[in-house]
Amino acid sequence: MKTDDLIRGLAKDTAKYRPIAELLFPGILAAVGFSILVLWATLGFRADLVQSLGSPVSAARFLLTGALGLIALRVSLILAKPDGRRHANLTQLAVVGAVAICLLVWAYAATPAEGLRMAVVGKTMTACLITIPLLSIAPVAVILATMRRGASTVPTLSGFVAGLAGSGLAAAIYAMHCTEDSPLFYVTWYGLAISGVAVLSALIGSRFLRW
Amino acid sequence: MDDWGQLLIAANAGDSRAYEQFLQTVAPVLRGVVRAKGHGLGEASCEDVLQDVLLAVHLKRHTWQEGTPVRPWLYAIARYKVVDAFRARGRTVELPIDDFAEILPAQVGPDPTEASDMVKMIGMLDDRSANIVRKICLEGASSGETGQALNMSDGAVRVALHRALKTLAFLRNRHVK
Repeated sequence: MKTDDLIRGLAKDTAKYRPIAELLFPGILAAVGFSILVLWATLGFRADLVQSLGSPVSAARFLLTGALGLIALRVSLILAKPDGRRHANLTQLAVVGAVAICLLVWAYAATPAEGLRMAVVGKTMTACLITIPLLSIAPVAVILATMRRGASTVPTLSGFVAGLAGSGLAAAIYAMHCTEDSPLFYVTWYGLAISGVAVLSALIGSRFLRW
Repeated sequence: MDDWGQLLIAANAGDSRAYEQFLQTVAPVLRGVVRAKGHGLGEASCEDVLQDVLLAVHLKRHTWQEGTPVRPWLYAIARYKVVDAFRARGRTVELPIDDFAEILPAQVGPDPTEASDMVKMIGMLDDRSANIVRKICLEGASSGETGQALNMSDGAVRVALHRALKTLAFLRNRHVK
């Protein structure tokens, strides 16, 4: 086939797509709503949820995970474009990580030596490591499906950032249940759960986001 | 630069003549890129790769944001697809391909090269889709004429054409990998 013939055919296809941002926002709202509902119906919210927001160290769980999720969501949208790698700012994501680590170091210094082990291991480590990945399934799936309609030229990185976005939001949702307020616990285990999801999502992205 | 943007805005709004003009304008530039990066590949294979790139541009045209420059967007798609296509043909692109600006557009000669991959892929479509693609691309029929010949509505032909092009892109990806 001559290239001119192909061009003639392509020009006749006037099907329109909606911009991917318009697809992502309703989708992610639905996914987050769904995950909140699942958490509420199974584990429930912590009884003192509203009061706990008054404590900065406890509220930092929502701030850190929420900020990570939302920033990563924004970066995902940028990476979904062909020339997105040049415009995506990954420093902001690193800043959230750095703040979390500072908080961890501060908590380590502020916690008496005999309480350290207790604070790190907590009582709900396993629940945390299982629930956050489960709650991230819906948001990560929505983000990856939306990015697939885009045209990422860095599929693995895109998958990684999609994983950070989805699991960051999922961790913020899980925080509504979790009563472990020490950064020694949540930076460690939320962080591990989020990293695990992000790595898995990067592996999925490296295949699923090719076009 | 901005003429490309104007054409693409009109194209994305559904103006098929502006779109054809856009593709006609960018094709020689992209052909230049493919040939510069794929010397030794042969003209026919380069034309195959170019058609891959054009199909990708077509199916991803909604990822261009109005008001942003067209070239970086277009070259990013080309870079991705060219590397992919060469890899699939067992070659690697050694040259950095960030220097697209210096590449001269390449026109086809008086007797244009025919690429063979696309015809093969059309043969793998179902009969009705293959007929539609052949009529519209090779015979230059309009969607209305194609519809009359195949006893389909104009709209149904357009939908089927869109699906067929998506399938072709999918088949090409799978076929060459």
